[in-house]
Amino acid sequence: MPADGLGPELLTLAQLLLNGLALGAAYALVALGFVLVLNATGAVNFAQGDMVMLGGYAAVALGHLLPGAGLLLLPLVMLAMAVFGLLFSALAWRPFRHRPPIFGLLATVALGLTLQEAMNALEGAAPQAGPAFVGTGEIRLGPLGLPRAALGIVIACLVLGLAQGWLLGRTQFGRRLRASAQDPVTARALGLPVDRLIAASFALATALAGAVGLLLSGPYFVTPTAGNDLILRAYIAATIGGWGSLKGAVAGALMIALFESVVAGYASSVVATASLYGAVLLLLAVRPAGLFPAPLGRRA
Amino acid sequence: MLTLDRVEILRGGEIDCALGSGITVVLGPNGAGKTELLEAIMGLRTPLAGHIGLDGVDIGRWTPERRSRAGVGWCPEGRRVFPGLSVAENLELVAVARPAERRRRLEQVLEQLPALRDKLGAAAWTLSGGQQQMLAIGRALMTAPRLLLLDEPSRGLAPVLVAELFARLRHFADNGLAILLAEQAVAPALAVADRGLILSRGNLQASGTADEIRSHAALEQSFLG
Amino acid sequence: MRRFFRPAPLVALAILAWLLGVLLVGSGYEQRLMAVAAAYALMAIGYHLVFGQAGALSLAQGACFAIGAYAAGILGGRMGWPLWAEFPAAILLPAVLAAVAHRPVRRLGGHYFALATLGFAVLVRLVAVDAQDLTGGANGLVGVPPLPVAVLGLARGPGMMLIGWGLAGLGAALAVWLTRGNGPALALVRADPGLARASGLDPERIRAQGFVWAAGFAGAGGALYAHVLGLVSPDTAEFSVMIGCLAMVVIGGRHSIAGAVLGALLIGHLPEWLRPLGASYRIAYGLGLFACLLVAPAGLIGSLERFRPARSYAVAPEPLPRVDVPRSALRITAARKAYGGLAVLHDVSLDIRPGEILGLIGPNGSGKTTLINGISGLDRLNQGTIMLGDARLDGLSPDRVALAGVARSFQSVAVDDGLAPLELVTAALTAKGGRAGFGRTPAIEALRQRAAGLLRRVGIGDPAATDSGTLRLADIARALALDPAVLLLDEPAAGLDAAERDRLAALLCTLAAEGRALLVVEHDMVFLMGLADRVAVLLDGRIALVGTAAEVRADPAVRAAYLGPAPC
Repeated sequence: MPADGLGPELLTLAQLLLNGLALGAAYALVALGFVLVLNATGAVNFAQGDMVMLGGYAAVALGHLLPGAGLLLLPLVMLAMAVFGLLFSALAWRPFRHRPPIFGLLATVALGLTLQEAMNALEGAAPQAGPAFVGTGEIRLGPLGLPRAALGIVIACLVLGLAQGWLLGRTQFGRRLRASAQDPVTARALGLPVDRLIAASFALATALAGAVGLLLSGPYFVTPTAGNDLILRAYIAATIGGWGSLKGAVAGALMIALFESVVAGYASSVVATASLYGAVLLLLAVRPAGLFPAPLGRRA
Repeated sequence: MLTLDRVEILRGGEIDCALGSGITVVLGPNGAGKTELLEAIMGLRTPLAGHIGLDGVDIGRWTPERRSRAGVGWCPEGRRVFPGLSVAENLELVAVARPAERRRRLEQVLEQLPALRDKLGAAAWTLSGGQQQMLAIGRALMTAPRLLLLDEPSRGLAPVLVAELFARLRHFADNGLAILLAEQAVAPALAVADRGLILSRGNLQASGTADEIRSHAALEQSFLG
Repeated sequence: MRRFFRPAPLVALAILAWLLGVLLVGSGYEQRLMAVAAAYALMAIGYHLVFGQAGALSLAQGACFAIGAYAAGILGGRMGWPLWAEFPAAILLPAVLAAVAHRPVRRLGGHYFALATLGFAVLVRLVAVDAQDLTGGANGLVGVPPLPVAVLGLARGPGMMLIGWGLAGLGAALAVWLTRGNGPALALVRADPGLARASGLDPERIRAQGFVWAAGFAGAGGALYAHVLGLVSPDTAEFSVMIGCLAMVVIGGRHSIAGAVLGALLIGHLPEWLRPLGASYRIAYGLGLFACLLVAPAGLIGSLERFRPARSYAVAPEPLPRVDVPRSALRITAARKAYGGLAVLHDVSLDIRPGEILGLIGPNGSGKTTLINGISGLDRLNQGTIMLGDARLDGLSPDRVALAGVARSFQSVAVDDGLAPLELVTAALTAKGGRAGFGRTPAIEALRQRAAGLLRRVGIGDPAATDSGTLRLADIARALALDPAVLLLDEPAAGLDAAERDRLAALLCTLAAEGRALLVVEHDMVFLMGLADRVAVLLDGRIALVGTAAEVRADPAVRAAYLGPAPC
């Protein structure tokens, strides 16, 4: 028993919460990208999780290519993924933009599946470890030992999240992104390059996914099917947060991760997932529009 | 500056005319093709036949974005302001210019539409119909147009606001802006217009000065059958 | 010859020919593959019901397939139940679980439904892999008894094929019966659930029905699958099965049963055909689905449907019948509605009497559309009552209100590709007759004839026209199909030219003469002048005045609101 009286249960809880926070921060970035594309195109991007997976493999590859690159890996992976995002939008969005949103959804399902199988064929199903981004080990804060990886994830996601918020809220580019998401026809008639803005939304979402892929590849390893669980959580986060709300998606993601982390710590992961769904359904029964519903008349 | 060369908007119709400065009103009942004509000029719709020219250049293949940058301003039916953005954001985002130029334009627009000044921080969806109409016009003005297209701006506005709106349009026209206005509110529109066009089922029935149009037989015919 | 071109029956015949071929000259391996394809066909037919017909994206079809397979494995294999007990159980179990899973999201929209089904699928997979004692965990179950081919006196291969495809055939027949006559109603539910509700349809109930039926079909398929393979592996619960099901229905054509079966056959044989590609054959899978979405979005059968000649309905000009409608007044009392603190309606009381046309005018933002939404059930009033005769309407959902006799038309109607005015009105007639939903089998041709008559009645000369005037009138015909005692018309004259306005006014007068009560919201005072018996003025959410059109026009408060304050 440590001298200052904090019991082991409390320490365990603190560990679980930190892990939950780290995971939640990662989920939040994935959910942010998901909602960005949702708002821009009206369609669900079922491949968002697979983008994270791709980012993870990109991190592994770059890590081997440039050992010791350290923090520089983050912007590199994000850049590479942003370029991929542009390509992806040309395939998954452009051809289907005049069709009902279900086609965009199905196209992302098809492409996500293709990505998974391609990575399976190229890299095999065995988990691969990503580069040491922030190093391993712990930072001691009194009786608490905080894993560096978890801390690194939280800080990186916070920085990226704030940067993305600034980008959308305070720059001309961000305003245009939001406007063309709300009313692409009128935006066009007012001189906005809507197609390019939508492609940029994809690039932004993919870059965020890539960042998460890098951050998670160290502690959690990368497998071709790693994206499946992530898209699930992004979808849940966007739903309980209020469909289309960026704030809501972040809040939802944090809630999911904390809930799961704590429950899985005390019970099993099966119980964690089952009770997560139960909790989500309960929340929806009580507040169907989610945590931050879009106000009436807000949507054009 | 705008030429419509045998433009077919609705099947079987033809519009052939040239437009210059001042306010030109396009009149006609619903189904006459007024909105379709404006959309075709903006590039949101392809005419079935004919050519649309801006300053002598055929702009048929130009995207709406390009036409906007060439000086065609857009104020659609139903206002269509960006609801989730604030008034200031609505105005600023359309200007394709450096920050200094943007600020200058914003000041100019606010001077001409002072009612917006108090509402700069408000979300666009909270504005009343009349205020949204002003915002839509201000937004179009931020693109520094030479030709402003307005589709039924009076729709849904109380008569007192309509008069105010048209007075302001007259003011803009007097300062050099060419305006093409599609309207159903015949009297107030003709009161401020320089020229008029009467459209019926995609056909240009008559064109002339506002006074000529006011008494034109075709006008009665197209509305009352 | 082209007159008789119907893709679905032709494809069905082609499929039968293919089956016959494999049955007679195929190897045992090929016949077994066909039996597996039959299991997939059952799953796909079920998915066609929920996704293709009800228009709901369910992600639980693979999970229900797995439940059926595990039921066969546990009940039939481990517990030794006879086939006649185990097979129905394998069908009922996923259906019951689906019904239970749907309850919490019963009243919620499409992506909540997708989420709930996704959760269902994840849970099933977790149980399959983790509940060692029940499901055998990662090892699955073995010892699933084979199909009773001996009973038929056949060898294994042909026997499995016959039993499998016999079941699939029964399934297809059942699906045909379930969807018979409901084409227009289901098309409306898919195209525009809001409009469907206003026409008396209940999209969520239809979705629930489709979901439960789909689960049952998937369970049957899963059980068949387990019996053909003789074992159950946890791979059955993997999401790839769901994606395969999606691919089957999308590639085959999601709007037809034959499409589902065709898709099942193709996807079922794909691993075989792509075997030369080795391990990367599954990449071809994803790319194939993508290519199909790009090039043939309606699927194979859907693309062929385009060559099907359109039907036309010759309607003999019928004398306009005089309809006597039960007379009830619509009485609104003390209606109040606020949106987050902003009050839009304050204490609005209004009577709409049978046989009368009541005009409702007011400046923009005065609350006219909110009032109509409140009456029609689209929006719940915070306070106040709405009575139709003795029946209380406030608090009812829009479809109940519509069926109770209060129908509305909409300001802007965008009619989708697949939904011609004729189909739209037929859908409303189907709902009115209480025949909308799976298994209700309405007499669709008779309904279509009546719909065509209604379209002529409102003055639509050319049902194929798509101008705004025709669409506006078609929407009124749709409301009329509900035989309403009260008709709420939201700016019906906007978008009509002078001649059309006159026809509309004449129609409205006729409807009022039949004993219906009409509420006409309009901006156009000239239109209302000659038409309305009384006019109510809504200013800032309050009824300022109710009088004749002339009285209202002369009222100073009204004039001030519209024309600006009078000069002193």
